[in-house]
Parts: sequence; structure tokens; C-alpha cells
Amino acid sequence: MQTYIRRHAPVWLSVLTGLALWEIAGRSTSAAFMVPFSETLVRLWQLITRGEFIAQFLDSAQLFLTGFVLALIVGAPLGLLLARVRVLRIGIEPYLMILYATPMVALIPFILSLMGFGFAPKVLVVFLFSVFPVLYNTVEGARSIKPELIEVAKSYRSSEWSLWREVMLPYTLPYMMTGVRQAIGRALVGMIAAEFFLSATGLGQLIMGASQDFDTAGVFASILVIGLIGIGLTRLGLKIEQHFARWRQ
Amino acid sequence: MAETTIGSAAIPDTPARHVALMAGNFMPRFLTGLAILLGWEILVRAIAPAYVAKPTTVVLAIPRVITDPAFLQALGATLAAVAEGLAITIVAGTAIGLLMGRSNAVDRMIRVYINGFNALPMIIVLPLFSLWFGYSGAARIATIIFAAIFAITMNVADGARAVPREYLEVSRSFRSGRLRMLTDIVLPASMPYLLAGFRLAAGRALIGAVVAEFFLSIGGLGYYILYNSRSYHHNEAFVGVLLLAAFGVGFEVLVQWMTRRFLPWYRRDEKAG
Repeated sequence: MQTYIRRHAPVWLSVLTGLALWEIAGRSTSAAFMVPFSETLVRLWQLITRGEFIAQFLDSAQLFLTGFVLALIVGAPLGLLLARVRVLRIGIEPYLMILYATPMVALIPFILSLMGFGFAPKVLVVFLFSVFPVLYNTVEGARSIKPELIEVAKSYRSSEWSLWREVMLPYTLPYMMTGVRQAIGRALVGMIAAEFFLSATGLGQLIMGASQDFDTAGVFASILVIGLIGIGLTRLGLKIEQHFARWRQ
Repeated sequence: MAETTIGSAAIPDTPARHVALMAGNFMPRFLTGLAILLGWEILVRAIAPAYVAKPTTVVLAIPRVITDPAFLQALGATLAAVAEGLAITIVAGTAIGLLMGRSNAVDRMIRVYINGFNALPMIIVLPLFSLWFGYSGAARIATIIFAAIFAITMNVADGARAVPREYLEVSRSFRSGRLRMLTDIVLPASMPYLLAGFRLAAGRALIGAVVAEFFLSIGGLGYYILYNSRSYHHNEAFVGVLLLAAFGVGFEVLVQWMTRRFLPWYRRDEKAG
């Protein structure tokens, strides 16, 4: 208990100071610019009790999960295939790096004009945002395998299955999980981007609507909630990554 | 080709071997690139309307686009904003990061916020920034800074904490002041972390600029892409995307080159996040 207090007291103190500063800043500026923390909470409670918030949240969650799971279903097996088949990996590597470094937001206008406003184009946006980190990091992991290891395994006539279990997976999975962590963050950005720039739905619509009505309290309430979701998902990603990092040599 | 047996440790690491390896890599890469372009061309010709971008028409659009004054103006506006935003980000982010890394009090005070803001999907601040700064270039700069600064701060803070204790002890026994210690020892020792942070920050700054232009409808490369794709000039718009991709890759290459050129003492296997 004592160590818990000692370790976490500074964090809580810093959060409370921040909230107090927010409250003071909000009270001393115009309401169009900033609203105090207390008013943000009141507005958030209104949004929740009116049921608006829950519906939009579920809408966003559905989009996030569909796009992200698709990215995993495509990215993970493809990444492992590239890890195993050297010629494929060498061939695709540079293009993967280019796609990983390209700002995918730039493709949104094309997706809009080709696919319109439905659910599918938004899923595609989330998918494109999150699939390349998984692929890129898995390939990076495959590159970290020393060719000697595979040669030794082969000269001892190890089967394909034990080659995977003893060499391929321990080397590539930790990298892939780094990719999964990055993909979680990018999928969240993709989700909001899709909701902003394709058709306005979900949490993105909540915040855009509030901004168009000059409802500053609504804007702050939405940012607060999305921020907390972001922090929660980032933590989850770090947990997943650390869990597999133990395998890393 | 026959005398290079790839992967055996007995072969010395000579330039000739590198050339041979590169030649071995070239063919699969070239063929993959060709397959991608060909597949794209055929797919678009088979099922998509004529205005959709495909390799042959995009290539034909390149000379037209890069001599178009409207395009050059848009490009200049975006690059100037990214450069300005990144300059502010590097100075402010490094200063905050150094303080966090070397002072436990500062670290405890603001780490929770740096981590929190870093986890925020950056584009959600756009509606707020448009309320604060209006639909203007200032909102774009603010978005770029917000998108990029936390990556730099977190990396520099980690780097400042990882400075070997002996360096600091030596400087202390030579009675150097706290500020000199920060600028002459902690900052240079954190350079690899700063560069790793810059790599992340530059990519995010680019995304921030494009997203801000979409949202705020202010002139720049992002808006050029949006406007042209809306008016069915997909080929022209795609040249803009190619340029963005080139900048994204260019930043990666620049950082890798700088690490090798200026920080040869830094070994990559102990790299930062």
C-alpha cells in the first residue's frame, strides 16, 4: 500500500493539478474558446443519458473492429509467408517500405469518389491504415533471422513444422506484435479519418457536429472520451507487445 | 553469380560481395514492381471507369502536373508549413524532452500528459483547432505541431535518461554548470534518440498537414489531391500522392543516412523505440 501510494501519488497529483488548471483556464476565457472541466463533465453526462453517445460509440467500435480484424487476417499470414519465402520477401520488401511510409490519408479522396459513402469504404480506410505496420514489422523480424539458423535446422533435417516452431515464430512474432501495437494506434486514426472525411458517423460525427454547432463543451467532451479510449487501446497494445517481447533474443 | 554462396560466414564482407548481393536482389524486386504495375493497369482497364488513375495515364500526367503553377504553389504551401511546424517541434520538443529526462520533478509533472496526448488520434483536435484558429494556415501549423511534438519529446526524454553516468560524473568533476551539461553532454548523447523521434515526427507532420488541408479546405498538396479527385482528375491527384509517398520515404532515407554519417558510434542494435 505504502509503495503504491509512493509510486502513484505524483501521477495523481499531476492529473489533479492539470484538471484544476483546465478548470481555471476554462472559467477565465470565453465559452466559445474553452470550457471548464466541470462543464465538460456535465455535457458528457447529458450525451450519455440521451443515448446519443452509446449509439455513436458502438458505431465507431464496429468500424474499428471490422477494419482492424481484417488487417490482422490479411497481414499476419501474408507477413509469415513473406518471412518464409525469401524470394517473395526480397521482391516485395521495398514496396512494403514505401507503402508503410506513405500517408494513407492521401488515398481517402480516391476511396470516396470510387466507393461512395457506405460502410465498406470506411472499413477499407481502417484496413489500409493498419495492415502495413503488421506486414512491415513481420518482414523486419524475418530479416533478423540469421540465415545460419535456418541452414543448421535444415542440415539437421528438421521438419517444416519444427522449423516454424523453433526458428521462424520465436523470431518473427515479437516483431509482428510491435506491428500490432502500431496498427492499433493507426486504426484509431483511420477510424476517425473515415468518419470525418467519408460519411459522418460515430464518434467522429459526435465531435464534428458539436464543432459545427459551436458547442465547445461537446467538442471537449468528445475529445476527452476519444482520448481515454486511445490511452486504453495504447496500453493494451503495449501489453500485447511486452508479452511477446520475452521471446526476443 | 555462381561463386557467391549467400549466407555462409566464410565469405568476407567485400564491396564485390555487396554488388553481387544487390544484383541478386534486383531481379525479384524489378519483377515484383512490374507485376504490381501490370496488375493495377489491367484491373483498372477491365473494371473501372476511364477517369480512374492507372500507371500509364499517371505517368503521362506527371509532366503536366509538375509544370502547373497551381500545383507548385500547393506543394510550396504544404512544404513551408511542414518545415515551419517541424522546426518549432524540434526545438520545443527537444527542450521539453531534455528537461523531462534530466529532472525527475518535471518528468513526474508532465509525463502523464505527454503519454496521454501521444495516444490521442491526432486528427480529433481538428474541430477544436478550427474553432480556435479559424479555417487558416495557423490551424494547419498547430495540427502539424500537435501531431509531431510528442514523438520527439518522448524519444529525447528516453535518450536523456540513457546518458551513461560516467559522462556526467566526469563533467561534474570538471565543475561544469547544469546548462552546459545539458547542451554539451546530454544533448549530443541523446542524438540517436532525437533522430529516431524525428523519423516518427516527420511522417506524422506530413499526415497532419494533409489532414488539416482536407478538413480546413486551405491550399496545399492535400487540398490539391482532394480537389482534383472530386473533379474526376484522378491522374493529376495521384501525382500528388506519389509526391507525398516520396517525402515519406525521403524522410526515412534521410534519417538512416544521418545516423550513419554523423553518429557512426551509435550501433543500431541498441536502437530507440
